[in-house]
Amino acid sequence: MTRPIPLIGILLACSTLPACKQSGSTSGGASETKAASAEAKPGNDDIVLGILADLTGATADVGKPYNEGMLAYIDDLNTNAGIKGRKIRALSEDYAYKVPNAEEKYKKYLQAGAVAIQGWGTGDSEALRGKVKADELPFMSASYAEVLTDPKQSPYNFVVAPTYSDQMRIALDQIAAVAPDAQVAVFHHDSPFGMAPVADGEQWIKDRGYKLGYKDYAMKGGATDYVGLLQQATSQGAKFIVIQNVSSPAATVARDVAAQKLDMKIVCLNWCADELFLKLAGPAAEGHWMIQPFAPPAVAMPGHEPVRAYCKAKGCDLDAKGLHFVQGWYTMHVMARGMAKVLADGKPLTGPNLRGALEAMEPVDTGGVTGPVRFSADSHRGAMAAGVYKVDAGKIVAVAAAVMPKR
Amino acid sequence: MPSRATGIDPRSYEADLRLLQTRGDKLRLALGLVAILALPFALNNYWLGIVNAIGIAAIGAIGLNILVGFTGQISLGQGGFLAVGAFSSALLAGRGGLPIPLAVAAAVVVTAAAGVIVGLPALRLKGLYLVIATLASQEIIVFVVRRWRWLTGGQGYLEAPPLGVLGWHVQRAAFERTWYWVILVTAALGALAARNVFRTALGRSFMAVRDQEVAASTIGVNLTRAKLTAFALSSGYVGLAGALTAHYTEIVTWERFTLDVSVQYVGMIIVGGLGSIAGSIYGAAFLMLVPPLLSALADAVRDTAPFLADQLPALQVAAVGLIIILFLRFEPRGLDRLWRRIRDYFGSWPFRY
Repeated sequence: MTRPIPLIGILLACSTLPACKQSGSTSGGASETKAASAEAKPGNDDIVLGILADLTGATADVGKPYNEGMLAYIDDLNTNAGIKGRKIRALSEDYAYKVPNAEEKYKKYLQAGAVAIQGWGTGDSEALRGKVKADELPFMSASYAEVLTDPKQSPYNFVVAPTYSDQMRIALDQIAAVAPDAQVAVFHHDSPFGMAPVADGEQWIKDRGYKLGYKDYAMKGGATDYVGLLQQATSQGAKFIVIQNVSSPAATVARDVAAQKLDMKIVCLNWCADELFLKLAGPAAEGHWMIQPFAPPAVAMPGHEPVRAYCKAKGCDLDAKGLHFVQGWYTMHVMARGMAKVLADGKPLTGPNLRGALEAMEPVDTGGVTGPVRFSADSHRGAMAAGVYKVDAGKIVAVAAAVMPKR
Repeated sequence: MPSRATGIDPRSYEADLRLLQTRGDKLRLALGLVAILALPFALNNYWLGIVNAIGIAAIGAIGLNILVGFTGQISLGQGGFLAVGAFSSALLAGRGGLPIPLAVAAAVVVTAAAGVIVGLPALRLKGLYLVIATLASQEIIVFVVRRWRWLTGGQGYLEAPPLGVLGWHVQRAAFERTWYWVILVTAALGALAARNVFRTALGRSFMAVRDQEVAASTIGVNLTRAKLTAFALSSGYVGLAGALTAHYTEIVTWERFTLDVSVQYVGMIIVGGLGSIAGSIYGAAFLMLVPPLLSALADAVRDTAPFLADQLPALQVAAVGLIIILFLRFEPRGLDRLWRRIRDYFGSWPFRY
């Protein structure tokens, strides 16, 4: 009876250890987020908002600044009279990019009386899609999967940025313009998030009659190099690698490309098109492209001013926080504008009313950080345009602003 | 077999086979029943949701305990079998149009069949080698559900129809409460059935295989049959848990069935007690309660000890690991044994025994 126990014990001990290691993967900047949630004192009049954050999970490198940006916006709003005098009480918890955790947190927020949810990844957004529909809670997230934009399928999901599929279409348009018959390799995160634009990209090449070659490869999580994948891309004859993944693995690909002196251009979509990619890849980032809906702080836009002013007052550096901070800030801004409209119309702040307000409100101007964000009853696709950037002399340089997929 | 109180001398076979032997047994059962019936009225939806998750995990843990605790075949393939159950039921009910109870029942059979296939290497492998074989099955099953686009229609996830029978559908307002009764009845029947299996020749042959294979075969136990039946029975329970998860969460993604889950279930049966049906339930409850309780604690001390809240997901995992190690060291027979010791202590108090 006792025989199997030591064996199982060893296995368990081994398997719990790597999970603990993840916690060290992010650094610095935790203090403001706590300040934001601690300052929001509970009151009867507060607007309760649930936030799912990835602070220690697989996408923590970008999830943390996004969450900080969101909490910063709420902190700023609450110190400046809130929404019609009502404060937002943000319940923000780390779900470590695990779907069961997200469901548990969601139930907790529901119980706490949340009127809306700010989610994070594609996995949790899709897992909660049916639930927010049944519970009538508007749900925004940093997942820009196509399925979330259709109110018939996902009536309570709102997507503030161009979808991953639209970003892929823009990327393919750009590639086709410079190299009409190039081979394109798509390296993607091995998850619903990574898979989201893959099929739509292939369809786009057919629809537009491009002569581009197209093949997709799953990037294994936690790999220390992608030499094997690059080998396959080389035998495909790829000149362009579109990456749908977060910055750290994308930077690894960039370093491997540089080390092998391959003649390949990386085109980063949304989640690797950022300052972290620059920092991690170093000189290897040079010349690669980025498709990014949110203007990075380095490319100054009027919309960056309030964020910069807040950061200055709090003693943090927006350029170090990067564009995902701005992304969180403006995603929260769109949600707050919807809430403001409900209250301005004199309606009680409920999920269905908030949904109606988001659909009916004027386009939200983000001061050039993104295009105007506009929803309607037929479409929850907030925007279609993204910026095209290039890495030049260690900086992100704008090539073209507000590019839409060619129709 | 559990020890029984002294002074009970059954005069008939029925009396000897009775599940409840003493007045204490009956009293505890009555108290337990009252608690179980009162629970959905005492808890809010959030905590009731956690209780429901415990109920489903308990069914899965009973399944794993049949295999590991009673038959001695160590398995790390739990997550894979949960996936088979969840995907089968969601596909049969969603695309196949079967009524949900039938789909769940069919998923149990499909998973049992998958269990037999995975169990085949167990006829030749023991100990660590069998662990690796079941680990392989876990990885293969998850690989298949990730890559096989037909399963999810290329979406990467599959929607499972919400619970409903003959035009009746679960109401959103009473969602957790309705599920509570469904899971309670299923888990209770499952536990009772499992308890009874180990009072039959089949169940005893499982234990004989666990204790000494060679001896078991010399006294006439058919090893092939015993091992494969154990795999089928165990997987059937796990498939049931998977199918319930599918309809309870209404969405099936591979992310819910990774190796972490297999390890967590092994943790449950160690903490609860290997070779004990009640222990499986205690272990499931214990390990499923640690993360939300830690989370509640972190919330409560957010101002004084913010580091708890910062590192919560890592701490939750670490706490579970630590608990398993402590149990292995101090009470390898788990919560079930701990509970029996407490009960016996008070039963014979003030005497030692």
